[in-house]
Amino acid sequence: MQAKRTTFPNKFLPYWLLVPQLAVTLIFFIWPAVQALKSSFEREDPFGFKTTFVWFENYRRLLVDPMYVGSLGRTAVFAFSVTALSMSLSLILAVAVNRVLRSNRAYTTLLVWPYAVAPVVVGILWWFMFNPTIGIAPYLLRGMGIAWNHRVDGNQAMIFVVMAASWKQISYNFLFFVAGLQSVPQSQIEAAAIDGAGPFKRFWTIVFPLLAPTTFFLLIVNINYAMFDTFGIIDATTQGGPAQATNILVYKVYTDGFLGLNIGSSSAQSVILMIIVIALTAIQFRYVERRIQY
Amino acid sequence: MATINIVDLQKNYGPVPAVKGINLSVEDGELIVLVGPSGCGKSTLLRMVAGLESVTSGRIEIAGRDVVKAEPAERDIAMVFQNYALYPHMTVRGNLEYGLKNRGTPRAEIDRRVQEAADILEIGPLLDRKPRQLSGGQRQRVAMGRAIVREPAAFLFDEPLSNLDAKLRVQMRVEIRKLQRRLKTTSLYVTHDQLEAMTLADRLVVMNGGLVEQIGTPTDVYDRPATLFVAGFIGSPPMNLVPLSAFSGADFSALPPNTDIVGIRPDALLLERPEGPSVTVEAIAELLEPIGGESHLHVKLTGSNQSVVLSIQGRPHVDEGAALTIFARPADLHPFNSATGRRTDDPATA
Repeated sequence: MQAKRTTFPNKFLPYWLLVPQLAVTLIFFIWPAVQALKSSFEREDPFGFKTTFVWFENYRRLLVDPMYVGSLGRTAVFAFSVTALSMSLSLILAVAVNRVLRSNRAYTTLLVWPYAVAPVVVGILWWFMFNPTIGIAPYLLRGMGIAWNHRVDGNQAMIFVVMAASWKQISYNFLFFVAGLQSVPQSQIEAAAIDGAGPFKRFWTIVFPLLAPTTFFLLIVNINYAMFDTFGIIDATTQGGPAQATNILVYKVYTDGFLGLNIGSSSAQSVILMIIVIALTAIQFRYVERRIQY
Repeated sequence: MATINIVDLQKNYGPVPAVKGINLSVEDGELIVLVGPSGCGKSTLLRMVAGLESVTSGRIEIAGRDVVKAEPAERDIAMVFQNYALYPHMTVRGNLEYGLKNRGTPRAEIDRRVQEAADILEIGPLLDRKPRQLSGGQRQRVAMGRAIVREPAAFLFDEPLSNLDAKLRVQMRVEIRKLQRRLKTTSLYVTHDQLEAMTLADRLVVMNGGLVEQIGTPTDVYDRPATLFVAGFIGSPPMNLVPLSAFSGADFSALPPNTDIVGIRPDALLLERPEGPSVTVEAIAELLEPIGGESHLHVKLTGSNQSVVLSIQGRPHVDEGAALTIFARPADLHPFNSATGRRTDDPATA
């Protein structure tokens, strides 16, 4: 379907109408991106007096830096875990809510609330709950014989930030899954029931394949979220620690640039992140926008 | 091959009754059509037989076994849905095989049955296509095929033709009838289209307001409608239902005593005096609709302003506004009582 073409009598009016949007895009997105690209090729002395053009030196150093490569690996673990955990939990919740007819609006409303909470606040909430000294969760875990201290144990810290980050994203995934489930025609499920498929089999052979477009869309969105939007959660909980255990790429950009004041390296890191976003977005447009063909 | 017995079946949605106690027994190999206006409970009844709706009270027996508590899969039935409900992500072959695979049918047997169904329905060349690549009529065939391969005790059809265009509908109607005769599978068929109902049914079940109005062969129901509702519902154009008071001067002493309304089929009203005794009434012609082989003449009875439709062979020449005398044979009058809504000459209900 093609949108209706509007013709303007005045030649310049359309451009004037585009100016505000273009200005916002240029000033807040394109310009900083170009700045980052530019400084990723430069080295600045600690006092900002001298800037040298160093070609790909910043990138080369990054790729041989075990700290950076380690962070890349941890980001992969983090993004995969958050995506898997939040998508599977939200799918279970969506299926459960889709089964109750009368109260499903109430459940939906309640389950969407976490999405309205700012990432930093999410971080603080979980920081309190899991605080090894005063938190309720470590107290309960101790009762079960698990010594919880994510300030010392890197694996526990990773589990901790994965839970916090997933918790927030579940709402978003849940909404899309509920909408997806409601668009699966009831008669197909009934036909499958008559065809001898039990509830579990119906779900995996009929409902889940029909949800594929939604699932794929959410997959991309969740990877993006885990990689880029979790800065606030990390900053409010572990701040990348202990011993780099939760220092994911986007947090490392911040620590190296703003705390370590290594602008060149930080810029190079953010350019790499930019490339990852562009790749993910391209995949999304290529496959999701065209829909998955049944 | 099986019988279906429905005993005092009721269904309430909360406080709202949808099906108010239905008794029906379907003989082995019979095609029963449930017909009625929308909201009459016919689809609910079918879905209860399929196991897709819970039963409030009553019994459903398929092949002598009470299935009220059984899962749809355990009832040995197959259903054809109004929107076909084909699985969009599977090929036609996948759609046909799905039910057999779920039941653990051996591979060779699956292939044999799918091939057989494809031959019967002439969908062999379509087996590797996806449903979205098929036309409406082809999808309809695949939906039928999915029912056939299962070789169930009974077929359930939920308005299977209503998504097709008029021409294809007639064609598929004939095919369904032939197929059912050939397979001799007990079938329940729901439709709101009375022409479809008349042509397909071994027996018709006319439903209204959650109750059965009449059960009988199509000709029985047409020739002797048991209630005012059936009289008005079956037949096109519908039967004229005229209060006796609208006739001035006609003699109705031969009708049963508590008759106060008579039904007359449009084609039983004549413009010329028939041989033998007849009822006559004066009328004014209002509108003549030629529809090809016959014409519909709308008239108003003189003195009562009651509208009546006549169906006349050919294309008579009648001026609008002309005064007419209309005749009917006494045998063509269907006597009803408006309070009970039932026939007054039926020994069972009189």
